[in-house]
Amino acid sequence: MSTRKIGEVILKVDNISLRFGGVKALTNISFDVREHEIRAIIGPNGAGKSSMLNVINGVYHPQEGTITFRGETRRDMDTHQAAEQGIARTFQNIALFSGMTVLDNIMTGRNLKIRSSFLEQALWIGRARREEVENRRVVEEIIDFLQLQHVRKTPVARLPYGIKKRVELARALAAEPSMLLLDEPMAGMNVEEKQDMCRFVLDTNEQFGTTIVLIEHDMGVVMDISDRVVVLDYGRKIGDGPPDVVRNDPEVIKAYLGAH
Amino acid sequence: MIYREAGQFKTSYLEDGQIFPIRQDRIAVALLLLIAFVVIPLAATPYFFSAILIPFLILSLAALGLNILTGYAGQLSLGTAAFMAVGAFASYNFMLRVEGMPVLLAFVLGGICAAAVGIVFGLPSLRIRGFYLAASTLATQFFVVWCLTKVPWFTNYSSSGVITAQQVEILGFTFDTPARKYLLVLSIVCLLALAAKNMVRSTVGRSWMAVRDMDVAAEVIGFRLMRTKLTAFAVSSFYCGVAGALYAYCYLGTVEPEAYNLDLSFRILFMIIIGGVGSILGSFLGAGFIVLLPILLSFIVHATGLPNQVTSNLELMVFGALIIFFLIVEPHGLARLWQIGKEKLRLWPFPH
Repeated sequence: MSTRKIGEVILKVDNISLRFGGVKALTNISFDVREHEIRAIIGPNGAGKSSMLNVINGVYHPQEGTITFRGETRRDMDTHQAAEQGIARTFQNIALFSGMTVLDNIMTGRNLKIRSSFLEQALWIGRARREEVENRRVVEEIIDFLQLQHVRKTPVARLPYGIKKRVELARALAAEPSMLLLDEPMAGMNVEEKQDMCRFVLDTNEQFGTTIVLIEHDMGVVMDISDRVVVLDYGRKIGDGPPDVVRNDPEVIKAYLGAH
Repeated sequence: MIYREAGQFKTSYLEDGQIFPIRQDRIAVALLLLIAFVVIPLAATPYFFSAILIPFLILSLAALGLNILTGYAGQLSLGTAAFMAVGAFASYNFMLRVEGMPVLLAFVLGGICAAAVGIVFGLPSLRIRGFYLAASTLATQFFVVWCLTKVPWFTNYSSSGVITAQQVEILGFTFDTPARKYLLVLSIVCLLALAAKNMVRSTVGRSWMAVRDMDVAAEVIGFRLMRTKLTAFAVSSFYCGVAGALYAYCYLGTVEPEAYNLDLSFRILFMIIIGGVGSILGSFLGAGFIVLLPILLSFIVHATGLPNQVTSNLELMVFGALIIFFLIVEPHGLARLWQIGKEKLRLWPFPH
């Protein structure tokens, strides 16, 4: 892990506030993410962690604040823009396309690379055919990387939970993202599956240099793999820094971690 | 034992992605096409063509169109017959009003008009879904039929509203006998079915299925919801429009609004439910079930020699019972039943 070099700030959120009617989901949140780092967001349930990710990739539009991604400052993100700029994500409760096979699910991750027109695809000629093969090759590499070979042609609905989580990661990776948002990638997994997932996340970060922002409740995992941690509570930021600092912050202990 | 892919290794992604990856399937399909294109035209009677095969093929095409929208893109629609009507009347008017308009081009233009209408009536799908969308597509059904009845320009000021369709003539060759019409319909249906298969195995099809299964995730990975849904409406309506034109020109022989009523929309919806939602094969199986089975049943029932009042009711009862039976056995339709059968056959005679 020490071999990878953490670069400049790639994403910066400034004074983000998000309200749903009278409910304040996020209040004045500011933090930044550096290139190639693993940034964790932790906090108790309902703290606004998932809302924060939804703001970053444009599912929610904050009432106040700005987002700066790769030097471009915006009021809010738009999901399509976010995807085009290389932000991919996974969801807390698996959001796979359940009627499609694993292969097709991962292929959907390549959709922004497709240039062939609708007619070319309907006639299965020229570019459409070539792109299908090229993308299939990339997808097969990801299948290899995440060890999904045996379920390639299985409909997603038939897979066990742990594998589904992995397929979702594969779909996100298929877009070759520069930043990956992972919403509780290890929730509901047993120890062995968690170890596998940890390894995949670290390998992704190391091999592809992908910047990772992750939400996770397993403190062992978070403190082990992340470079810096943001702590949210009731939509407010109560801590930010390297794992060791956050772990010993009295306010964080009181709100979330509890005494050891 | 016979149906097995052992020893058939795929050495390229193209080979792995072909429509029929198993050699036995390819042979079967080639045989089927041979029978459809060569044997049947030589053997069948005119009644067989015009009462059974032609309606079966045309309704298969309409069902395929609806299946693209409902089965693949997940947008429920009750306006199928309306899109067919648009296709038929647009083709009629193009042929009537444009001198020397080739028939095939008129069919295509009819399909394109239907696609345009489909896009307009597909706009509500951006905000509503499920049963609510079905109710709003019902508006298409009533509006289009009303419009074609009330605006005399569409029917060329015909007093009865029933117009005799022009003769179908392509490059000097007249499609006047049932056998010739059958061949024309069969060719168009085969080409469009192939195109549909190509769509669902490439990005456009995946975008439909992604929106159907999980629209938020589809949006996050970069699909545009509006474009995807409206493409589905356009393609689906195009297929229905072409089917509608063929229905008028190759089956009914007349162009009339009343032929495209709500009843027809429902029949096509039942076809895809029974045949298999989200399956191209299912569209054909479903159309076969709804079109062919009643004919088959009436033969069987009449052969029993019972009095007429009894047989006609018995026919309906058995038909209804069969629909319920198949839906209980396999709610995912005949296509799924077929698929399960094939999977079993691959292992036969071993249980696992």
